[in-house]
Amino acid sequence: MSDSSKDHWYPVGLLSDIYTPRQTLLFDQEISLTHDDTGFVVKKSGGVSLPTIERFGHLWTSLGQPDHDLFVIPEADTPGRHLVDVGSVKVKCSPLRAVENFLDIAHFPFIHTDILGAEPHTEVDRYKVEIREGVNEVWATKVKFFQPQAAKSAEGGIITEYMYRVPAPTCAVLYKTCPPRPKEWDIITLFVQPLTEEWCEVWPWMALYDDDSTMAEMVSFQQLIFMQDRSILENQIPLKLPLDPGMETPTQADMTSVAYRRWLKRIGYSYGAQMVAA
Amino acid sequence: MTRLWGIVLNWIAVGLAEDIPVGTVVPRRVDGLDLAIWRSGLGRFHAWDDRCPHRGMRLSHGFVRGEVLACVYHGWQYNLDGACDYIPAHPDLTPPKTICANTYVCETRNQALWVALGTVNGDVPDIGDRIPIRSLDISCGAPAIARYFDHPQDPLIVLRGKYDLAIALQPSTSRSCFAHVFAGAGQDKKIVSRYVEKLRDELEAA
Amino acid sequence: MILYDYVLSASCYKIRLMAALSGQKLELQAVNFHPAREHKSPEMLKLNPGGTLPILRDEDLIMTDSSDMLRHLTRNLPEWQGDDDGWLDFARTLNETLGMARLHDVLGFEVDIDAARKRGVHLLRLLEAHLTEQRFDGMIFLTGDTPTIADIACFPNTALAPDGGVSLDVYPSIRLWMRALRSLPGFIEMPGIHRLHELEAAE
Repeated sequence: MSDSSKDHWYPVGLLSDIYTPRQTLLFDQEISLTHDDTGFVVKKSGGVSLPTIERFGHLWTSLGQPDHDLFVIPEADTPGRHLVDVGSVKVKCSPLRAVENFLDIAHFPFIHTDILGAEPHTEVDRYKVEIREGVNEVWATKVKFFQPQAAKSAEGGIITEYMYRVPAPTCAVLYKTCPPRPKEWDIITLFVQPLTEEWCEVWPWMALYDDDSTMAEMVSFQQLIFMQDRSILENQIPLKLPLDPGMETPTQADMTSVAYRRWLKRIGYSYGAQMVAA
Repeated sequence: MTRLWGIVLNWIAVGLAEDIPVGTVVPRRVDGLDLAIWRSGLGRFHAWDDRCPHRGMRLSHGFVRGEVLACVYHGWQYNLDGACDYIPAHPDLTPPKTICANTYVCETRNQALWVALGTVNGDVPDIGDRIPIRSLDISCGAPAIARYFDHPQDPLIVLRGKYDLAIALQPSTSRSCFAHVFAGAGQDKKIVSRYVEKLRDELEAA
Repeated sequence: MILYDYVLSASCYKIRLMAALSGQKLELQAVNFHPAREHKSPEMLKLNPGGTLPILRDEDLIMTDSSDMLRHLTRNLPEWQGDDDGWLDFARTLNETLGMARLHDVLGFEVDIDAARKRGVHLLRLLEAHLTEQRFDGMIFLTGDTPTIADIACFPNTALAPDGGVSLDVYPSIRLWMRALRSLPGFIEMPGIHRLHELEAAE
């Protein structure tokens, strides 16, 4: 299938993890990661070297011809943030399903119960979704949702505000109310490495203002959240993301996902997508 | 009617009623088709496609509240007809009638649970006054199991050897079955249970 | 008591769950097991030269075996004790099979995955057979009609089997046993083992 999928940058490893060479997959192809005096080296199984970028604590590569630099997150560079390497989790689902789930808030009361949401506070108010033409990104803003415990020190629930950004087909950035610094946003990302169309490795990464938690606690928290999602992602039928309407039923709360699917179709991204209703 | 193993089956066994207490849901696979079987607060059994129309999540991971089955992902609730009647993200919305789980006919008879995947035709098979023992998976196709017992490929395999047994085979895939075992009253359940495990070992070794 | 804890560890969860069910407070010390391998750091190796988690510290006593920890937590709670020894050994084999399959599938550990899953399925069949016989006798738990440390030891790696690609669909008695454990007052969840949402509506 000829599509644009390979012409993007993908996360394939952590910069902090230089202990062992790594063999992994990208788009069904075996690649190897090693480290020498000059830095990281990524090669295809035939020995062909691939381009690399080091950013957001991760090593990125591409099998195609990316005509653009990897996106940036300028807010993450502001001083005082803890940059958190959460590490990877493998999931038997389409990379696109993993991203779509990350863009969804309506599941918080049922999957992240008493952490990110709780019954009876299940209502999702209308928010704003757009495809920003210049940068070609999906954005959802003014997303507000009841959160039972916004921070370790917080007593009782608050309304938390979120902004979601999809800067690349398998990457999503969440900007979230930051309790200690009301004027800033915490940054939580989901970078997804497509292993196959139905198997992915997910690399969450965060840039947080949090002086109460240890690094291990911040890592644990995000792994806990993502592993709660994993059992959902491995049990959606089909494992690929249906891009054509008809197979699944969105509501107003799913506006971000609708825009994400429409955008994938528009940019011709088909890897991990189910194009025809089965 | 469903065509399986080259023959037409009206009813397919999917379990023992006592294994699905009130207020629970379980997954079952019939010839590769995934079903969610659930029992409402009032005790009625229901067999649906194991897929929430919203995001494709398996309904067998969901939860029963009274007379509705809810999807675990977003809490969408489906009533006894399979129609979605509550979406937690939009509590004031009346969901359109088109949001509906795919449902099948499901009947219990003598503690055995049966589904009809197509048009209902004929009575639910009768296990007689036998009592339920247990369900166990066997890594063998249904035709191979029937052949092993030198029995016609009926929905119910009745064995009158050492023990009086009725085995209802649920063909999960072409290479595996879920066997629902019933035994004549008065037989020791533990002894029968161990005997069918031995049968399974023999079948899987054959 | 301090538990050196990793949030995704089935063995750490055993200890958190036992403490929660018996109303005991643990001070949790999060360890960055993945990706930072902090359990192999010099400080952690000083506590536990074996380099494993969980580690439970009760004043001067340091425990590194989860069965020892379960016994320690219930040493004054006879209601949580039964004919447990065989099941604590069984729990160890669950960890070596289903537990390793899960670490392979989730965190990419190098494991002979087919062998781990195959042995895991064999153990699940044994567990199902035993729990079925317990039900014939009117009991839902491993050693009787109330739970003991045997149940708590075997529950996590069993319930998390799907994380490692092993289905629990064909084990009715295991499913009812897991449901009975999840219904216990004070039950706490972990990622991959969610709470019974149906109970919340009933409250």
